Amino acid sequence: MVKREETIAFFVEQAKEDFSLVEKNLAGVITEIKSSSAKKLNYIEEFDAADVLRQVAELKKAKYKGKLFGVPVSVKDAICVKGIESKAGSKILKGYKPLFDANVIERARAEGAIILAKTTQDEFGFGTFATHTEKVPKNPFDNERSCGGSSGGAAGFTAFTKNFHVAIGESTGGSIAAPASFCGCVGITPTYGLVSRYGLIDYANSLDKIGTIGKNAEDSALLLEVIAGYDARDSTSLQNAFKKEDAPIKRIAVIKDFFDGCDDEVKKVVQKKISELKKFYEVEEVSLPLNVKYALAAYYIIATCEASTNLAKLSGLRYGAQGTVEGKHFDEYFSEIRSKEFSDEAKRRIILGTFARMSGYRDAYYLKAMRVRTKLINEFNNAFKRYDLLLNPTMPVVAPKFDEIEKLTPLQNFAMDLCTGPANLAGLPHISVNAGFINGLPVGLMAIAPHLQERRLYSFAKVME
Amino acid sequence: MSDETTVMIGLEIHASLNTKSKLFCSCSTDAVEPNTSVCQVCLGHPGSKPVLNEKAVEFATKIGLALNCKINEDFFFSRKTYFYPDMASNYQITQYEIPVAENGFVFLNSGKKVGIKRAHVEWDPAALIHPSGMGKSSYVLIDYNRSGMPLIEIVTQPDLSSPAEAREFMNLLENVLGYLQVLKPNTTLKVDCNISINGGERTEIKNVSGFAAVEKALTFELARQKQEVKRGNKIEQHTRAFNAETGTTVELRKKETEADYGYIFDPDLVKVTLSKEFLAKTKAELPELPEQKAKRLQEQYKLSEYDARVLCSDLALGKLFDSIVSKSGDAITAARLLTREVLAVLNHDSLSLAGVEVKAEDLLELVQLLASGKVSDKNAKAAVINYISGDKSSPKNFLEKNNLFISASIDLDSIITKVINANRKAVVDYAGGNEKSLNFLAGLVMRETKGTVSPQKVLEELKKKLS
Repeated sequence: MVKREETIAFFVEQAKEDFSLVEKNLAGVITEIKSSSAKKLNYIEEFDAADVLRQVAELKKAKYKGKLFGVPVSVKDAICVKGIESKAGSKILKGYKPLFDANVIERARAEGAIILAKTTQDEFGFGTFATHTEKVPKNPFDNERSCGGSSGGAAGFTAFTKNFHVAIGESTGGSIAAPASFCGCVGITPTYGLVSRYGLIDYANSLDKIGTIGKNAEDSALLLEVIAGYDARDSTSLQNAFKKEDAPIKRIAVIKDFFDGCDDEVKKVVQKKISELKKFYEVEEVSLPLNVKYALAAYYIIATCEASTNLAKLSGLRYGAQGTVEGKHFDEYFSEIRSKEFSDEAKRRIILGTFARMSGYRDAYYLKAMRVRTKLINEFNNAFKRYDLLLNPTMPVVAPKFDEIEKLTPLQNFAMDLCTGPANLAGLPHISVNAGFINGLPVGLMAIAPHLQERRLYSFAKVME
Repeated sequence: MSDETTVMIGLEIHASLNTKSKLFCSCSTDAVEPNTSVCQVCLGHPGSKPVLNEKAVEFATKIGLALNCKINEDFFFSRKTYFYPDMASNYQITQYEIPVAENGFVFLNSGKKVGIKRAHVEWDPAALIHPSGMGKSSYVLIDYNRSGMPLIEIVTQPDLSSPAEAREFMNLLENVLGYLQVLKPNTTLKVDCNISINGGERTEIKNVSGFAAVEKALTFELARQKQEVKRGNKIEQHTRAFNAETGTTVELRKKETEADYGYIFDPDLVKVTLSKEFLAKTKAELPELPEQKAKRLQEQYKLSEYDARVLCSDLALGKLFDSIVSKSGDAITAARLLTREVLAVLNHDSLSLAGVEVKAEDLLELVQLLASGKVSDKNAKAAVINYISGDKSSPKNFLEKNNLFISASIDLDSIITKVINANRKAVVDYAGGNEKSLNFLAGLVMRETKGTVSPQKVLEELKKKLS
């Protein structure tokens, strides 16, 4: 049960009356960021104290006191903040300071949020453990373990801080749910198109969704309501935002196929939690055989195809990492910068994605994956004809140790997205809420709602809490 | 083996569309100073997203309709990936599977039908500037003002059978685009020319600028291919470049298939659906096109097919004609003046109507003078030359100043009498059967009248006197 005094909504209510609460809370957060322990834990990619103080001074004069008045909001590195280095966790974007705020930043600022810092992540979101980057965030529950990824810094810092704070994350194939699960937070990934992608450094544009991570469902939901909405600068932004909460949730189904690939301990914790839910809902089982068989394959083909074109622009020519150009043909220069600055994982995905869209393979891989995606969405939609929500464990394991992650093959790595991948591919809103612990390590439970039914997720999460 | 060579030519024409802003951002398309009309979208900055300019779609739809194409009500954009310093994102947003328009046709003057395969919209890369000339500069400058400008690419079927026919098609196409007013002023059409002979493999000559260059490049390439075949060599599919200075083509690279660009649907853009209302409105807004107008002029004013075609071969010329006729200028006279005298001066001085100051009112006065027999063709011609390339005073002023009107006050009779009296020998010679003497006398009379009387009239009157 989350106490009202622990929510951001409560803090904002108080802060509107007494600005010193804003200053005190912020001072607390800044002290944490600067603490030696936080520095070792690598949650923060970029922090500009002067910029934060400038925001506070402006906020103090502000006439309108918004829904996030005085709340420090951290931002995943891939989201552009004007004038603040934004490099999506990649060396190749070192020094890139966007000329503009992302739409979510504009919306958060308009409601009185303080844009606090950029949080660490896998390079361009390429990973499930936030290990594919220079600054690897460490799990606050056990520093030998991963925060999950790719929005690792966002979830890690959310769990780490003792102060009021909420995080903007981003998910392409599970990058909000995974770290929320490993760090015991609540992560909401909205319907594709609900939140504008304007200002998001792309991983896979048809899959990227900006969402939120908070200590509790109410915090995550509050931030999501602020950042959601139509934006003409993102052509994929939806005009008919949230659906009103319709009838109360009655029937939910557990996706049994997703359980099969999970650790026994994880299954037990999640099943126990689900059995408690039977007091509130009718709980049944459902099978999504197509998704379990094809979702990850389709996801990785589409994601890498799109990513490989997105990353083409990063060539050391106009921004980010630079080298010496004298005496080199442009091809030579581009190759040199890209070879040097991209991680092995980025290179792997560029090669995979380029292969799958080339002549002779395009029909067999890229176009087929696009068609499969439609079939997989239909399979979900059919299930939603009978059930209001679908449930599964968020991750098949608890946060693994870094040395365990090193031993995983790329394919085993990809398989970690077993439960989160399908809903992400289908653009369905989902939430990860803590379901319990195994040896002090959090286990997440994930609920998936039909498109634009985010509000069902909030009410479900509150029941869970 | 027959000596006849069958030639197949297909063109891919790139034209800049005349929108106010770029294809996927709100930057102006009219900047002059380098790199002053740029933003995060056309510079390819991470985080930026393209938003489609609907005006470009409207223009493309008009072009499709004017070229008798099927308009696709649903289409989308794709990414064509290749690394080049002029390409801000290292991919071009273009159309691949489904273009705006496809399967159209146009008719050449000969009545030959040329198929239009497709017309699609795409963005232009930035401009590369080689300060000391191509291949001679130690560095290259990039001007992103052009990055993201809207282009339409029109692809013909390989129906053209000679370089001259290719040029004729280009003229016709540019004229249609001019009538639609969709073409960015002061831009050149850039053409990729595909040519094959006797059913062999084709070569593609990339990026040829302008009509004359297209004809020249194709002429060279045709001769080259014939030569190769004559030597017993096989033409292999490849890409060539045209050197405008030498008029030759050189091999650029071996066969490169389209799909190597790794096309994917651009995931930042959504499917475009043209509404029934939009299509109906766009169709209704189509202006009268050259072919339709030429037919109308023949019917309405009984102009010859030739005059009508010539008048409609240039938007400005046709408008000038309309304007003169609407002010009750005689149509036949106006057509004759424009297609003979005015065009002759323009062609002679390599000028275009857009580049000179020609007012309908000024020409109207001349048409009226001609129609009422107050000025001779010869003096009208002189007036036009002076109007366009001389001191530019109006034809009427010119005629007045030089006293070149045919006026009733001229006493042709007494001039003839005077000339006859002063040239008795010629009169006698003529009486003796020497026709040349008559012309000699006529010339003298003409000189006295300053050309304000037609030669026919002078001859007529002279004969009467001497009979």
